[in-house]
Amino acid sequence: MSANEHILTRVPDTLPASQRARRPLSPTQWSLISIGSITLLWWAITASSLVPALFLPPPGDVLAKFGTLVSSGYMDATLQQHLWASLQRIVLALLAAVAVGIPLGIAIGTYPRVRHLLDPLIEFYRPLPPLAYLPLIVIWFGIGELSKVLLIFLAILAPVLIATAHGVGSVSLVRQQAALSLGASRGQLLRYVILPGALPDILTGIRIGLGAGWSTLVAAELIAATRGLGFMIQSAAQFLVTDVVVLGIIVIALVAFALELGLRRLQRRLTPWHGQTH
Amino acid sequence: MSLLQAHNLGVTYPGQASPALQHVSLQLGEGDLVVALGPSGCGKSTLLGVLAGFIAPSEGSVSFDGQPVVAPGVERAVVFQHDALLPWLNVADNVAFGLKLQGVDKARRQQVVADTLQLVGLADVGRKYTWQLSGGMRQRVGIARAIASQSKILLMDEPFGALDAFTREQMQQLLLSVWQHAGRGIFLITHDIEEALFLATELVLMSPGPGRIVQRLRPGFSQRYRDGEDVRAIKSDPAFIALREQLLRSLFAQRQAEAA
Ligand SMILES: Nc1ncnc2c1ncn2[C@@H]1O[C@H](COP(=O)(O)OP(=O)(O)O)[C@@H](O)[C@H]1O
Ligand SMILES: [Mg+2]
Repeated sequence: MSANEHILTRVPDTLPASQRARRPLSPTQWSLISIGSITLLWWAITASSLVPALFLPPPGDVLAKFGTLVSSGYMDATLQQHLWASLQRIVLALLAAVAVGIPLGIAIGTYPRVRHLLDPLIEFYRPLPPLAYLPLIVIWFGIGELSKVLLIFLAILAPVLIATAHGVGSVSLVRQQAALSLGASRGQLLRYVILPGALPDILTGIRIGLGAGWSTLVAAELIAATRGLGFMIQSAAQFLVTDVVVLGIIVIALVAFALELGLRRLQRRLTPWHGQTH
Repeated sequence: MSLLQAHNLGVTYPGQASPALQHVSLQLGEGDLVVALGPSGCGKSTLLGVLAGFIAPSEGSVSFDGQPVVAPGVERAVVFQHDALLPWLNVADNVAFGLKLQGVDKARRQQVVADTLQLVGLADVGRKYTWQLSGGMRQRVGIARAIASQSKILLMDEPFGALDAFTREQMQQLLLSVWQHAGRGIFLITHDIEEALFLATELVLMSPGPGRIVQRLRPGFSQRYRDGEDVRAIKSDPAFIALREQLLRSLFAQRQAEAA
């Protein structure tokens, strides 16, 4: 995406000379401006002692805490160990959601009967807050890793499933018919025409799903966890260690954003035609 | 002898009161270029869908080389107006697509692709992606892909409908030279009278409500182009203009009859 996207027409030569000299800011520069402003505001509020550090610790304290957490840790584990525990759960859940969601999404997008069959189930569980069915999962599957990963898996599954089904269902009919007239079997049609055609949607579904996965992390790590960023934040909250809470939030946001950026890059590389007029 | 034979075709879409197609018969031989001309909604695409095997007719039957047509098949390659190419493949791979599906080995594929791209004037763009090409070039790729596959006839649904007038005229000439070289029968749909007259060995004029054939003629101008006559000379020939006006008049007469 470029910063110029919102400008519909631009005729540089008609600009006055005073404006022509100024170079437009890059997207990254715009982002840095917003991040910088927020941090500055945060610092100003804490420096003015308007708000006690218990409610909002100063940026400096949080940064110092980062050092402590990396070296000596919190709740018997370093920040890296917490992060690793959470990442493992997210990645495991993501892989499972992709392995289940894509084939099932293809079936839903291809066969109306499968769609009619599964639609109510998906639409039933999808809007439920994970905390609502968390007790059931614990009762059925215990308090081990399985329950934690399952909760995140369910959050990622719905968007992957829905996006795949939509992508498969919206592959242009003439493209499929043309392929059939060139001798494509059902399997070849799926492999060479439908799946690549649905790929942009599938990747978008994975991106949205991953976001949903992160947002259930804290709920998942309510289940008798001893490690994980969600667990770290909850324990810190119980003891009012606000700087660890803030730090945990920032780390989750940064890691999630890094993964999102990676996926966007992957999407651009794998589907460069997406968004082109033809 | 004709390859493709359609006998007394009728199609009524589910839930539709009147048929989209009624009593349509036609034949397509090896060197034929049959053009179906008619306004939007007169059942042209429906007819092509039946010939291709995408749509099962409610009445009548289609056969190819004596065998009943019940599904799409490699001997009947289809070219659409747009959207039918695969944007994740480059031009060469798009053209090779049919052969790949049919399990033809790579060396042979490359040979056919090179020859076909040469034929449609795209020898230099094999490595480009289809979304990097102009509309006219994309249609050339579509035609190349249909020829490169082991098709015996081409079914084309308004292949030049989305092109500007200038490109369109170039593509008509390209189609005639391809038709001459590749020696395939072609069934082509258009709503452009000039295009129909210029290309057709046999022209069938269709009319809506229900979609049917109302007139058949053999213009013969494409043969004159093949014999070396200039396009502009053909299209400004009094005989060409007279036929064009006659077709226009009968199309308008149809309209008025419907309105009455
Ligand atoms: N899948 C369909 N279901 C119902 N009606 C259709 C369908 N496809 C086409 N029709 C109708 O059949 C008639 C002929 O359509 P079509 O063959 O697409 O005409 P043309 O290609 O000449 O514009 C039109 O009235 C159209 O609305
Ligand atoms: Mg049509």
